[in-house]
Amino acid sequence: MSFFRNIINWPIDVFRVWKREISLVFHDEAVIIFFLVLCAVYPVLYSLIYNTEVAHDIKVVVVDDNRSHLTREFVRQLDATPEVCVMDYVSNIQDARRLMNEHECYGVVYFPSDFTRQALGGGQGHVSLYTDMGVFMRYKQMLTGLTSVQMNMCTQLQHAKIGITSENSGGIIENRQVALGNTAQGIGSSVLPCVLVLVLQQSMLLGICVLRGGSRERRLRNRGFDPLEINTWVSASLVGKSLCHWVIYIVPTIYVLHFVPMFFDFPQNGATLDIIVLMLPFLLSVSLLGQTLQVFVNDRETTFLVMGFTSIIFVFLTGISWPRFMMPDYWIALGNVIPSTWASNAYISIQTNAATLGQVSQSYYMLWVLVGFYFVAAYMVERFICRPRYRRMQQYAAIEPDALIKEEHRRNAVDQSGW
Amino acid sequence: MLFHFIIQSLKRGAVSLVRRQVFFWMMVVVPLLGSWFLFDLMKAGEVERVPVGIVDLDNSSLSRSLTHNLEAFKTVDIQYHFRNYQEAADAVQRGLVLGFFYMPADLSERALSGQSPTVSYYVNYAYYSPASTMFKGFKTISMLANGAIVTTALRTLGVPGPQISATLQPVLTDVHALNNPWTNYGYYLNASFVPCFLALIILLVTAFSIGTELKYGTCRQWMHSSGNSIILAITGKILPQTIIFTAVGWFIQLMMYRVYDMPLNGPPSHMMWAMVLFVLANQGWALFAMCVAPNFRLGSTLCTLLGMLSFSFCGFSLPQEAMYPWIEALGFVMPVKYFFLLSIDQALNGIDLYYSRVYYAALIGFILLPWPLIWRLKKECMHPVYVP
Repeated sequence: MSFFRNIINWPIDVFRVWKREISLVFHDEAVIIFFLVLCAVYPVLYSLIYNTEVAHDIKVVVVDDNRSHLTREFVRQLDATPEVCVMDYVSNIQDARRLMNEHECYGVVYFPSDFTRQALGGGQGHVSLYTDMGVFMRYKQMLTGLTSVQMNMCTQLQHAKIGITSENSGGIIENRQVALGNTAQGIGSSVLPCVLVLVLQQSMLLGICVLRGGSRERRLRNRGFDPLEINTWVSASLVGKSLCHWVIYIVPTIYVLHFVPMFFDFPQNGATLDIIVLMLPFLLSVSLLGQTLQVFVNDRETTFLVMGFTSIIFVFLTGISWPRFMMPDYWIALGNVIPSTWASNAYISIQTNAATLGQVSQSYYMLWVLVGFYFVAAYMVERFICRPRYRRMQQYAAIEPDALIKEEHRRNAVDQSGW
Repeated sequence: MLFHFIIQSLKRGAVSLVRRQVFFWMMVVVPLLGSWFLFDLMKAGEVERVPVGIVDLDNSSLSRSLTHNLEAFKTVDIQYHFRNYQEAADAVQRGLVLGFFYMPADLSERALSGQSPTVSYYVNYAYYSPASTMFKGFKTISMLANGAIVTTALRTLGVPGPQISATLQPVLTDVHALNNPWTNYGYYLNASFVPCFLALIILLVTAFSIGTELKYGTCRQWMHSSGNSIILAITGKILPQTIIFTAVGWFIQLMMYRVYDMPLNGPPSHMMWAMVLFVLANQGWALFAMCVAPNFRLGSTLCTLLGMLSFSFCGFSLPQEAMYPWIEALGFVMPVKYFFLLSIDQALNGIDLYYSRVYYAALIGFILLPWPLIWRLKKECMHPVYVP
């Protein structure tokens, strides 16, 4: 009989937990900040930071020991490239070096005195580029600019030199690059999709941990009981809370993953419905991950401390900066158990490369696997760590009502024994 | 009496660190593990063997030799041979390959009859760093293919060997990537991200340790133990943490420059002193945030927010001059920006200390920053109001 009663009561309890969690979220301004404001503001901030996408006109100086028509033409063309800006001519390498040290320029272009003689007289004229390696994008841009001018120059000189032979020398194979997905080849369009998914995950984790911190603080004040907690099965509590977080996140998810790329003209080639379907298991698994990690959070403010730095680790594990196929196996394995790894890579495929959900099915199924995995983990944590802990708190409080608060104060170095 | 208060407040600061486990985890374990994670993740240095595919519609000896040459490259790894463009595009969307090399059906025919065929390479720029590597590989192979054909043609015309290369490339570029000739990605990224990670932790811990005093209403006692002098109280609280963080920072530098062999071309002492200043500067910054907003939650939110954003707006990946001016300006409010610029000068390039004088001065400036506002924190400590 009680079995059947449980079957009826379980969904009712799930609903009660869901309702209570909703009210807890919306009565706690810190959680509202994490769940809603963070999702509204952070993506915009990041987009603004990366919105310029690439660096143009990297400053270089020229040391020209040749001073010929050819070198001047080279420098003119170099200055005309979008990537490089020729700031000045200086008389020798030492002066150029000094300008670099003073952070006036980031590269030096050097023409040796025999440049023209070699280039026009059957040899090879060498032009050297010395670059500062502090920021790779500057190096890459200088290299691109210089290479394009060099190739252009080569073609011009070839025609001048071997005019007739080149006609007979067989076809020259042309080559062209086609940039897929991120056609602007900008850093923003590359990094942002990943960051957007991460923002959803981290904000939810922070919010869940703050909720838990608040609950524990209520327990301290109420002799180990949380008056706002629904007393029910662990599984009903987990399911109810996850559904609550999931429902709250529907609007932020659509805003962050659909509208933010739209505002900032980031690649948006995917079907919105695919993205929403992909996010279902993602949000559930993040919620359950949060309910697993909350065991490390003791009070509301510890959340920052415990969760703040994980964003960096999670961003790198997704492989957006350093590709996953280059990582050592153990880091790949760690990445595999983080929901954002699968979700962000699938989101990038859908949004940037116009994949369909079917094409990223592996990530989609893995997210469902993670939902299962973290359900078990959260269940274990709640059942075997948290609840026994609460029972102990209640037992201590039954013996001495102030025990919990005193213990908390002791931990914060509030000592009665006279400093 | 003063000496007594100094000892007492230092003792209180040190004891409060061992009372809570979270300090041990956050001050020692997380910075060390986090920086080891970043070092270890990128220990390969350069992106190599990017998974790519080939679409060879020509199937001639020319296209096969191109494929063979491409296989010999360490930059790309040919994992698939696709039958057509659609298959290849599908594989890119599935994430099986990051790009592919496309040779049209009339490649060798047109090449040998002098009609200039085009080979294309499709590069998925959704992933930036493998894309640049792939581009390099594809570009080189196309140039080489070109060279091979023209060389054969010119040789049949009787042009001697050295002259052929001179004819093909009369202008040559020598690129000198100063002090990182391997273009090692780890060396570049870890020089900025590891200090930024440490900075984030320092900001959080400093704000947390002051904030808990406010939250648990223990700040009266805190002030009392240092004779109601806020300067002594702060010193006693901060100094034990400074020592631990500096030790951790030096250990991270040891990992950086000795274990993972990042370039250190200047005297080590310059970087070690910079680390001391860096730790103090971040503590000063967090203290400043707590003075501006003497409230646990507001102060630590400010520290987290800017600490997290500084990974992006300090110009580590997108150079500062490429950003919107107001974001570029925002980068200069964080100590880690100066430490990053300083480490480029002193560790990577090893130039004279004179050129980095501004950065050292800025770090010292951050240490002095909170002191004019410290009265606000004192007021809050003497009359604490905690709003939960």
